Amino acid sequence: MSHTSTLHDVPHHHANPTGWRRWLFSTNHKDIGTLYLLFALAMLFMGGASAMLIRAELFQPGIQLLDPDLYNNLVTNHALLMIFGSVMPAAAGLANWMIPLMIGAPDMALPRMNNLSFWILPAAGTMLILSFVVPFFPGGGSQINTGWTLYPPLSIQVGMSMDFLIFAIHLLGISSVLASINIIVTLLNMRAPGMTLMKMPIFCWTWLVTAFLLILVVPVLAGGVTMLLFDRHFGTSFFDAAGGGDPVLFQHLFWFFGHPEVYVLLLPSIGVLSHVIPTFARKPLFGYKSMVGAMIAVGTIGMVVWAHHQYTIGMSLGAVSYFMIGTIIISIPVGLMIFNFIATMWRGAMSFETPMLFAVAIILMFTFGGLSGVMLAVVPADMQYHDSMFVVAHFHYVLMPGAVFGLFAGVFYWLPKWTGHMYDERLGKIFFWINVTGFNLTFFPQHFLGLAGMPRRIIDYNVMFTEFNVISSIGAMIFGFSHLLLLYIVIKTIRGGEPAPSRVWEGARGLEWEVASPPPFHTWETPPPIRQEQSA
Amino acid sequence: MNPHDPQLRRKNIRLALILSGFALLVLITSFPFWQNIFQILGEAAK
Ligand code: HEM
Ligand SMILES: [Cu+2]
Repeated sequence: MSHTSTLHDVPHHHANPTGWRRWLFSTNHKDIGTLYLLFALAMLFMGGASAMLIRAELFQPGIQLLDPDLYNNLVTNHALLMIFGSVMPAAAGLANWMIPLMIGAPDMALPRMNNLSFWILPAAGTMLILSFVVPFFPGGGSQINTGWTLYPPLSIQVGMSMDFLIFAIHLLGISSVLASINIIVTLLNMRAPGMTLMKMPIFCWTWLVTAFLLILVVPVLAGGVTMLLFDRHFGTSFFDAAGGGDPVLFQHLFWFFGHPEVYVLLLPSIGVLSHVIPTFARKPLFGYKSMVGAMIAVGTIGMVVWAHHQYTIGMSLGAVSYFMIGTIIISIPVGLMIFNFIATMWRGAMSFETPMLFAVAIILMFTFGGLSGVMLAVVPADMQYHDSMFVVAHFHYVLMPGAVFGLFAGVFYWLPKWTGHMYDERLGKIFFWINVTGFNLTFFPQHFLGLAGMPRRIIDYNVMFTEFNVISSIGAMIFGFSHLLLLYIVIKTIRGGEPAPSRVWEGARGLEWEVASPPPFHTWETPPPIRQEQSA
Repeated sequence: MNPHDPQLRRKNIRLALILSGFALLVLITSFPFWQNIFQILGEAAK
């Protein structure tokens, strides 16, 4: 094909590329996976810094550190950085690294598109960060004060920072749709002969469902913010009642994306747990088929329950009843997954290395978050809870264990595979305990604050809320700073340590454990034979 | 499975195009042009 393109200066098979070209022009799933993970780690620290500033301000009633506009800006950018900058790229990093290894494929199906999906991200991240900082430049307009939900009419009134944000969301959307397409094509077309869909490792299944969810809902978000852009600059009135539009339409579009998005964040981590728990319980996963069925059910039902975020907009009784029942029904397949995890551990020969510690903690805390979710699903109750700190407590109890800790478990589980070195198990356990304690200290008291009536996204509060806020802020500092230890462990493992065997954990099963640690640059150029015990 | 096998490449690209077509369709239908279509249909039915 084209002899001119510099891409072809990097030969596929002969010499491995080195230096900056290796990364910029990479079409190698392992290198791209590493890039995704590093990007996610950087964003985790930026989003974490915003969160800790928020909690520092909320340490005491009154306004001490931040001005209210900046506070609102931080609440917005914290969520966007974490969701789009950190959790989604980290999950995509795991997918890139592990899916080809797990299904016996030499690489992703569309390696150059894979390069594009990643390299859009730094551009998108820059736009995202600019949207928070342009207001500080002369003529930069007002700060974004809408929260990550970007509801009009407020989002129509914000200055040019909103345009940066809209552009960032477009780029992020393109990146994740391209990545999803690549993952679906890889999973459907590139499996080693003999690996049927129902023999595919569960992590691959969770990503198949996730990728379909993403291409179904991300374009809707893109459409929604595009209309926002048109309303802002081109005189349309999609969301402007004065011009015959409807601001509530945006809420529907946003949450049509937003609710499935929470499963996008959750499912890859469920996939990680489906490997970690059998490994450290030394038993095969209980209920492989029901697991696959459950995640398809979650994905499908999850598409049609979005308006539980909008109970207070004044829907008809029929509509709210439908959304309430649908939402409560989702807890059945989710409960089934938890049940399968517990059944896998039942009478297993368990050991508690760091990934397994996270797994057990996830089961406990995620279930707790799920229960407060069922409380929120109940319409009359939610009329009270909506927009209170109870909601904040709820989604952090589902997202942190359900998404972030699952990713941590995956990182500890596969780090020896990636680097060829064992991480420091003692430090890993110390990190786990500080992290999980800090997390619970931060978010548990927020349940009480919410139930007592403290609203969310508010810089100041009544003195009667002081005690729980003090506890929460202290917890947030412990939690936030504990991630420096994670950073240290990761760097230490990359730089050296006890060499890891190819099957890092004695109970681990699957093709990814049959290649060396670290795997050579090219793996599975001839597809491996699929034996029975390799599946699941 | 040879990733440079032209047949597999074509199969991959075809599926990718189908999926991106699908994503574009979702994008377009998120614009509420159909709201008026429903209205017109509703009035026609009356
Ligand atoms: C150091 C760790 C973290 C701390 C201390 C923290 C704390 C907070 C605080 C204080 C808020 C604002 C509460 C309010 O609205 O008044 C918030 C909102 C939020 N956080 Fe976190 N968080 C952390 C990590 C994360 C992570 C990892 C995620 C994503 C998986 C996340 C997702 C969100 C979301 C979606 C919101 C809602 C923002 C909004 O609706 O405006 N957080 N968090
Ligand atoms: Cu939801």
